[in-house]
Amino acid sequence: MTDVAVDTVALKLSDVWKRFDGVAALKGVSLEVLSGEVHALLGENGAGKSTLMSAAVGSLQPDQGQIEVLGRVVENLNPQLAQKLGIAIVYQHPALAPDLSVFENMAMALGPQMREHGGEAKNWVAAQLAEVGCTAGLNDRVSDLAVAQRQLIEIAKALAAGPSIMILDEPTASLGAGDAEMLFSHLRRLASNGVAIIYITHRLAEVRALCDRVTVLRDGEMRGTFTVSDVSDAQILELIVGREVFAEFPPKAGLLGNEIVLEVRDLNGLRFHDANFIVRKGEVLGIGGIVGNGQSELIRALAGLETAVGTIEVNRKEVRISGPGSARDAGVVYLSSDRLSEGLFPTMSVRENAAVSTVDRFARFGFVRRRAEAQTVKEKSTELAVKASSIEANVLELSGGNQQKVLMSRALLNEGAHVLLADDPTQGVDVGARLEIYRVLRRVADEGVAVVVVSSDVRELEGLCDRVLVVSAGRLVAEFSGQEVQESRITNAMLSSTARRSLVGDSKGKAPGRTPRFFGRVTRVAKGDYGATWALAIIMVAISLYTQGHNARFMTSFNLNSLGLLVAALAFISFGQACVIMTGGIDLSVGPLAGLVVVIGSFYENSGRSVASLALGFVVMFVVSALVGLANGLMVQSKVFTPVAATLVSYIALQGISLVMRPFQGGYIANSVMNAINQGIGAVPIAFVLAVLVAIALEISLRRSRWGRGLRAVGSDVTAAFRLGVRTDRSLVGAYVASALLSCVGGIMLMAQIGVGDPSQGVNYTLASVTAVVLAGTSVFGGRGSFVGVLLGAVLVEELLNVTTFLNLSQPWQYWFQGVLVFVAVGIYARAQARGTSRRMLRRHLESVAA
Amino acid sequence: MRLTLARWGKSGGIFAATILLFVFSRIVEPRSLGGSALAALWPFAAILVLAAVGQTLVVQQRGIDLSVPGFISLTVVIVTHLPNGASSKLVPAILLVFGISIVAGVVNGIMVTKVGIMPIVQTLGMNAVLYGIDLAISHGTPTQTTTALQNFVSGSVLGIPVPMVFAIIAVVAVEVVVKRTVLGRRFEAAGVSERAGRAAGLSVDRYQILAYVGSAMLYCTAGILLAGIISQPDAFQGDAYLLPSVAAVALGGTSLMGGIGSPIASAIGAVFLSQLQQFVLTTGASAAAQNVVEAIALAVGVAVYGVRGKLGSMLRRRRAASVPIVASDAPPSGPATAGGMASHAVSTSERLGR
Repeated sequence: MTDVAVDTVALKLSDVWKRFDGVAALKGVSLEVLSGEVHALLGENGAGKSTLMSAAVGSLQPDQGQIEVLGRVVENLNPQLAQKLGIAIVYQHPALAPDLSVFENMAMALGPQMREHGGEAKNWVAAQLAEVGCTAGLNDRVSDLAVAQRQLIEIAKALAAGPSIMILDEPTASLGAGDAEMLFSHLRRLASNGVAIIYITHRLAEVRALCDRVTVLRDGEMRGTFTVSDVSDAQILELIVGREVFAEFPPKAGLLGNEIVLEVRDLNGLRFHDANFIVRKGEVLGIGGIVGNGQSELIRALAGLETAVGTIEVNRKEVRISGPGSARDAGVVYLSSDRLSEGLFPTMSVRENAAVSTVDRFARFGFVRRRAEAQTVKEKSTELAVKASSIEANVLELSGGNQQKVLMSRALLNEGAHVLLADDPTQGVDVGARLEIYRVLRRVADEGVAVVVVSSDVRELEGLCDRVLVVSAGRLVAEFSGQEVQESRITNAMLSSTARRSLVGDSKGKAPGRTPRFFGRVTRVAKGDYGATWALAIIMVAISLYTQGHNARFMTSFNLNSLGLLVAALAFISFGQACVIMTGGIDLSVGPLAGLVVVIGSFYENSGRSVASLALGFVVMFVVSALVGLANGLMVQSKVFTPVAATLVSYIALQGISLVMRPFQGGYIANSVMNAINQGIGAVPIAFVLAVLVAIALEISLRRSRWGRGLRAVGSDVTAAFRLGVRTDRSLVGAYVASALLSCVGGIMLMAQIGVGDPSQGVNYTLASVTAVVLAGTSVFGGRGSFVGVLLGAVLVEELLNVTTFLNLSQPWQYWFQGVLVFVAVGIYARAQARGTSRRMLRRHLESVAA
Repeated sequence: MRLTLARWGKSGGIFAATILLFVFSRIVEPRSLGGSALAALWPFAAILVLAAVGQTLVVQQRGIDLSVPGFISLTVVIVTHLPNGASSKLVPAILLVFGISIVAGVVNGIMVTKVGIMPIVQTLGMNAVLYGIDLAISHGTPTQTTTALQNFVSGSVLGIPVPMVFAIIAVVAVEVVVKRTVLGRRFEAAGVSERAGRAAGLSVDRYQILAYVGSAMLYCTAGILLAGIISQPDAFQGDAYLLPSVAAVALGGTSLMGGIGSPIASAIGAVFLSQLQQFVLTTGASAAAQNVVEAIALAVGVAVYGVRGKLGSMLRRRRAASVPIVASDAPPSGPATAGGMASHAVSTSERLGR
């Protein structure tokens, strides 16, 4: 703990501006936080709180403004520097790499502290976790943990850094009551020791319980800083909401009879429980609650986008909603709150976006009648007052409100709709467009459609809805209708609910997963980093024994020796490939690069050359390879090229260069060089031993070193990796350079085996290396893998090619083995890793919780 | 009509580049456009066009198809080895190979969508399986193609060589289906955004499977034609088409990350690449230099589209479209959108901030 005198300024932000795409998100915000105080930061969603804090910890660069930490002006702040300066942050969405273990995540974030504790590091980390009541094991993979556990790890990580400034972004959103109380006592203790604490929250009760001063932001501007005891809740609320005048809402209509359009009974999901409610014809039902309490998941379940069990009836008929398609067939239309990624089709026009669900209405014999389509879309757009240059304009050119209107016109064009589910429909929408959206929603209801609106904006619920349900911790805790629909009542119910998460958010719980009793252990092994490695070893031994049984010449030292050499070359190239695949990319250029190394060798490594010439050859090979890797890495890092495109360019170019240098075979490699590289100890080639040693070394550094953890973290979650202090750009480029250098070693071995400059030899190694890596169970989504597994993958690929001759199998078997193995390995792995939740899994989970 | 223009502009880039290339070839190396050169160019260009259009379908659905060589090679082997010179057995062989291709395409699609295997891995494995069948039939040896196929493929319709006729028909058919039909519209939408597609109730999986099946049939067609062009095709004829097919897609401006693509633009990209090869060959440069030139063309192509895409989205944000859409003579209503842009940006920042 740094000893700082209480009441000195720990963090000072002056006149901070940040623009996104030219529009200001922070407009000259200044903030002073004192040592020893807990400073609350309040504001609506989108007020700029998170942006401001991202600037304070350097994960985002402000356009303008000054940051002073403990009286020192800091330029070019980045997460690593922030860590060094003693700033720790607890993100709302924990900055943890999901594919890494708890310990590895802690170790990455806490490098210096870990070194201090040396051999005791593990115990120290365990103690830090115990301190905050986290029950996760050090070796548990973060992706297997429940949200609450991850949040506790995030907190422990920040506390363990011994910060002098600590920032917490809604840390209690997913915590149980006990955990939250524990956190508060830690924060009070830290503050009394002189730590400056910034606490972002939506809960006024927490501000009262914990904080000394409060700053309110609104629309990127400061609304002021106050001593908590000097202001009332009402005053704070007014500062948060602002004086924005909400012109009139559309009049609430009377019900169109008592007909029930939607009925939900005992609906249960991972984030909501025992939901029971109805929506009548012509009614607008609001669902309120603090963001993240399960209300979004509830309506997503009705839209078929979230797994749930229970009964759903539309127009008094039970419907089985198993996916979005069946929801649409049942007449349920959904408007996502994530407009950009789940609502709009970004590169398409207003017309195409509006008509996508109903385009068959304008079709004759399957062909779209453009004119009829354009006419209808135009009419709807006029009706909803969509402002755009034309209906052919790209939908991204529109403002948020108009984008939302386009999505609503999509829903309105659907004449079979009975239920409209709108998740936060006015998020990021300006006032004028907001009113129009309210008007449209009301009109939809008047046409007899049941409308359900999820919103965190209480004023909106009050003005728009006929009836409002309040959700807290996944449960419906209050219902208001008619005259009761009042802002104060709803807010009160939202903020005062004592309900805490009872199921999945439970701090003891693990995320539900596939853990059927019988296969439990098998699945656990398969899900581990070494699952595939074990499987490969078993298959390899089985094939060897079988082959030996059929043909005793298989296990002769001659065959094992040549097999070992082949494996060594492929193994090194595959190690390179694995480095890149671990980051979530792919390197198609490894094969041609190995080929180029062979060709380069054929110019230098000839008999009769001086030692200097021989050595120079190797230098050239490595330098060329490093440059190729650098070029690949920079292309990928530029984001202009996908990994496939970038390495495809290199692939073609390298292949071309090889062919230019050696249009035909030529340039014999000196026997001395070949013998040196190919020599062995008995039946075991030294090259193979080297491959084993390198595999082990890489494996250890993958698990233990900062490089290896950074590599996996980047592949696992780039943003989290960056926030954990990984230099993500270097990690990424480094992976391509490492890939090229390892391929170079593979190429040298290849050269010694071929013995002549042959431009066509390397190419096949690209596909073989991908196969070996994939066989090893390295996740093609990045983040996971094992070099020992890759070595075994390489062994298996070469062994399969080899045994076909001993088993008298024809050549096609080489291909079939390879193809089928890839399918089986990846298929099993993809299933073991599947992140979705099936209905059956959900039921089992609900049962286990109930029991 | 702006977007339509913009789209035309997309294929316009490669179209202009291709014309420039031909003009340049005419001036610098007239022989590369001589009668014999052209006669050699078009049939092979047609094969690449078919492969590139197939690749476009898969890339549009955010995939990539590495099984192009397997499909083409296997097709060539089946339509040459099974008839083994007997023209009467050609039609059954063609039917068989179409059947196999469709099944393999369905398997690719199902494994990618339902089992969750990455496209690059799935198609890599499929390539190996197809080559296994290829070698089981051919034993790696070439066979004389049937005279019926040879005669058919070497013919021409209205002066256009038969392979090119097939390529043109295929391109037009795919373009019409993708751009003009209900199926095509939803196919494109599912490719642009899987999440939005799902939320809108589209069967995203079905369109992906369709992409793999459609592309398999295009490769199959390419393989049949190729077996007619070469008198004694070997077992590995498809190998030469994998990378150029991806390159043609990239040159045609379809993002390798998926989304809206243009089959026509990919086809023009294929012609561009073919002529580029031809040109480099006739300048007397080695076949090898060809690869280097191709790599440069691909890099420039991807970079140009990539950078333009980035600039485009930046410009888009700045341009506030504030004209209300008017169908009849309804008066424009509602306040200006400046505030809308601001609050939109705030929500963006909030997302980035987290």
